[in-house]
Amino acid sequence: MTTSADLLADLVADVDGVFLFAPTGSTYEDYREVDDESVVVVVAQENDHDAERYVELPLEFDNVRDRIRFGIEGAMNHGYCAEGDVVACAVGVFGDPIDGVIRTPVTESMHSGIFDLFANSRADPAVVRDVFDVAIELGKKGQKGKPVGALFVVGDAGKVMNKSRPLSYNPFEKSHVHVGDPIVNVMLKEFSRLDGAFVISDSGKIVSAYRYLEPGAEGVDIPKGLGARHMAGGAITRDTNAIAIVLSESDGLVRAFKGGQLVLELDPEEY
Amino acid sequence: MIDASPIATVEPVPSTAARVASAAPPPLQSVGETVRSALTSLPARLWLALGVIVLAAFLGYLVVRVNRRILVGAGVPETIEGTAFERTAREFGTSTVSLVANLSGYFIFILGLIVALTIARVEYISTFWNRTAGFLPSLFLAVLVLIVGLVVGDKVELLIDDRLRGVKLPQTGIVPSLAKWSVVFIAVLVALGQIGVDTAALVVLLATYGFALVLFGGLAFRDLLASGAAGFYLLLEQPYSIGDRVRIGDTDGVVQEVNVFVTHVESDGAEYVVPNRRAFTEGVVRVRE
Repeated sequence: MTTSADLLADLVADVDGVFLFAPTGSTYEDYREVDDESVVVVVAQENDHDAERYVELPLEFDNVRDRIRFGIEGAMNHGYCAEGDVVACAVGVFGDPIDGVIRTPVTESMHSGIFDLFANSRADPAVVRDVFDVAIELGKKGQKGKPVGALFVVGDAGKVMNKSRPLSYNPFEKSHVHVGDPIVNVMLKEFSRLDGAFVISDSGKIVSAYRYLEPGAEGVDIPKGLGARHMAGGAITRDTNAIAIVLSESDGLVRAFKGGQLVLELDPEEY
Repeated sequence: MIDASPIATVEPVPSTAARVASAAPPPLQSVGETVRSALTSLPARLWLALGVIVLAAFLGYLVVRVNRRILVGAGVPETIEGTAFERTAREFGTSTVSLVANLSGYFIFILGLIVALTIARVEYISTFWNRTAGFLPSLFLAVLVLIVGLVVGDKVELLIDDRLRGVKLPQTGIVPSLAKWSVVFIAVLVALGQIGVDTAALVVLLATYGFALVLFGGLAFRDLLASGAAGFYLLLEQPYSIGDRVRIGDTDGVVQEVNVFVTHVESDGAEYVVPNRRAFTEGVVRVRE
């Protein structure tokens, strides 16, 4: 004799940790003290409930798999869980409130590099997030309604500048504009009309626009069908410690590269 | 309604006129005669005092109107738009211009009131009011100075903020507010001096405090200040920028980052954080292959 509740009981049986993704206040209060030995980790954009174990989500990943991977990678990084654990993740799959529970083992293969992209890049995590925000905004609205492409190279700016050459006068010369400044979205939108890459320093300063990247392209493994912009972006991350965030003009997706690898793919329309 | 108004005006009169017109009217007299006798029994001085009050009220109103015209005509509202004081004034449903204009109006009215009281020879308060009358202009001036100081301080803050924003340096946010509070502090000192508060101790205190701040701050932040001053030059002029190969002293590498205090120079996986002061004391070599 089984009841439907047993279905969920099977899922959460013997888990080592419970991950709450963006829980509401009452949800967090209810599950804060789970009676068995499993740890409770809150994964959200802001630590609204002052949770003891907390992983910050830099973006609201629409892809649930990315969100869970990021949460678990972050928890591993903080030491909340280790390889071999089994955790239950309570996430909102179709919307904001939690509507699903996913059981997953914690393995090294979880290392997709998404957490790495934010936490262990040369640039500040906040800078990476700001650049993502700009790219997503640009992908959503385009330039005067038309889709645009853009390439942001973030971090290790000195080396990137030495591996590239200017296509035109640098509009950011002798300026001190940082990504995250309120005016930047508009500015980048205007400059995205012209070709070339934006170079952004570790602290978020926009060093240059209109850069033609000249990395060695050998050994870069990016999916076939992506254009020169992605190839250049991927290749520069192999030659330097920078990461590249690329907005595709043809399919409108935002992709992130690190170490020559495609790490993350986002659809701006879903944000 | 018509009946009520004479009674209302009459009512306070017997109390003041009671002593003067001690010959109380017979109770059988009609109301109209009571009024007439009360009016005639009022000394001329009281009438004069009443006239002065009315005149003062009228003059005050006139001054408010004229002042507002002058202030608006001089473009004050546009000049002070956006200052914190003006915004606070707006929150209370008024504006700086009407505040200043009203202030002068009130001043004249209160002055008229005091003159009227003196004329009416209200004995027991005249000594008090005489002193107040002497004190009033300074008080008025003090309030005016305070308002002007606040507005000018706000304006200075806005102006410097604007100028610094042109340089596009977000780290300089403290300078405008520092300038603002200096202006406000001086205004407060002047205002306090106006109303006769002895500010000598305050000035000495300020001087001591400022001196100590400069001395110890200068000692403690000597390196930081020197680097900051050098950093301002480096950021404004950019003799070297991100991506350039430089040698500062014996540090050799590619510039990764320049901010107000330090320059990050990287070579072969080692990132040197060099104080900007050193860029000046030891000089910078730009290496061009």
